[in-house]
Amino acid sequence: MTLLADLILMPLVAFVVGLLLVLMARRVRAKIERRVGPPFLQPVYDIVKLYAKKTQVSHGVMHDLAIMMLLGGFITAEIFLPVPGLDGLAEHGDLITLVYIMMVPMLGLALGVGSCANPNGSIGISRALTAMLAYDVPYVVVIVGACISYGTTNLIDIVQIQQQGGPATWGAATMPILAFAGLLATHGMLGKEPFEIYIAPAEIATGPMTEMSGKYMGALFVMQCFQLYTVGVLYTTMFLGGGENWLFFLPKVFAVIFISVAVTNVYGRYKTDDVIRWMWKWPTGIALVGLALVMVR
Amino acid sequence: MSDTTPVIPDQPEVCRTVDAEERGVWRRVMDRFADHCRARSLFVLHYCTGCGAIELPPTITSRFDMERVGVSPMVTPRQADILLITGYLSVKTLKRVILSYEQMQSPKYVLGFGSCTINGGMYWNSYATVKRLDQYIPADGFIAGCMPRPEAVQQVFLDLMKKIDAGQANAWQDYYLNYDRYLGNQMALFGEEWHTPVDVIAEAEHYGYVGDGTRGRFTEILDRHAAYALRDAPEDYPERGANERLLP
Repeated sequence: MTLLADLILMPLVAFVVGLLLVLMARRVRAKIERRVGPPFLQPVYDIVKLYAKKTQVSHGVMHDLAIMMLLGGFITAEIFLPVPGLDGLAEHGDLITLVYIMMVPMLGLALGVGSCANPNGSIGISRALTAMLAYDVPYVVVIVGACISYGTTNLIDIVQIQQQGGPATWGAATMPILAFAGLLATHGMLGKEPFEIYIAPAEIATGPMTEMSGKYMGALFVMQCFQLYTVGVLYTTMFLGGGENWLFFLPKVFAVIFISVAVTNVYGRYKTDDVIRWMWKWPTGIALVGLALVMVR
Repeated sequence: MSDTTPVIPDQPEVCRTVDAEERGVWRRVMDRFADHCRARSLFVLHYCTGCGAIELPPTITSRFDMERVGVSPMVTPRQADILLITGYLSVKTLKRVILSYEQMQSPKYVLGFGSCTINGGMYWNSYATVKRLDQYIPADGFIAGCMPRPEAVQQVFLDLMKKIDAGQANAWQDYYLNYDRYLGNQMALFGEEWHTPVDVIAEAEHYGYVGDGTRGRFTEILDRHAAYALRDAPEDYPERGANERLLP
């Protein structure tokens, strides 16, 4: 019964926190550009408006299924991601499972966009998968390093290890080099500038989202909430000690996303091959150094 | 057996039949809520053909910041709610505007920006420009002026929001209800060969917006195109779809 409540609550919490993260991202961007920014409920207005469109264009069964894969992938990821008070299925899965599940949404998006037959969409999704190839290499190295350091892949254990020793045993303190590489990879994972190759509104008209309208676009907006939440929570769990309760936990999640959002506004956009070159050179190199240090210790 | 109550045959039992949808409180609340959200989240597709585009950067960036009332730019017609026609339209660009407009999902709104979209403006005697935008696609609002200032752009957005919030910004329905008239005007410019990939009539049927003006003598020409396309098509040529008119 507790498990059932967890399974329902965890995605809901993720969605609400995700809405706040989206709001924060837009507000921070506005402040940096010296604007006022959107009102408090703007993310909700956007999603309701998109779902309330009176006509919808579907591009076939695969297009509809892709949206299910997209949201399903992230909802599954939320269930495996322990947060204060809610463990869900975290005991039965581990970090490796989570990394696998987090690839499902992007693959789902690829299938759906393929059936739209829009060249901008196809270019966008090929770039998205290329970007995934770029940021997943340092990310996997970081995760392997963290697992070796903690001696376990179980997320609940990882949180406990960090909480028993206080901030001195947080991942960010015991393996700072890996944590830094993880932050860079996280930034690429969020698809923010300079790694925004697959959205690129002025170049390929938002890529995978080109043909998405109405409720499909709404689902993508929901996905964005989940994406920010998942990436922020995963980083917090691995390197910032999780949290005893939501009061300590949420500021950390917001801080991780804030760093990414604050940095993104000063950059332009890399070319696709530059993204791969940069990601495989710097974050991967730093992560390998961190991994070596962890293994020597 | 005597019956004192007079029975009047063929008399309706109530004054008027109440529409089932009209009675649903839940439905009305939801519609109201949706309109509330629609009015506060407007994605704009800037169709920057004319000189009006230069007034938009100050409108959306730090000087006037339209995002604080929920207006943000979008880059494809599929995602957009508002088609903002910034300036004059030549006959050639009007074709692209109509293609973009038909790809947008309802409820959708069209705003004409500058005098050129109202009466031709300074291009009033040009052979190559369109004089009145609302003859070709239904428009929800216009901004007079050459150029209108960003304040005027903001004002038309705020007026449109009020209309949407009250559920009155329904010009997009007019395109379905009077498609024949709009198509006739379009054909007068582009010739009888004019047709778009979107099957507006099928959409009107599917979503229940068929009116007296949906079909007419101009849409019959469209049907002729479709019949022609099907006659010349190879055997495995697909049937006319529900949404898309299949033409070579």
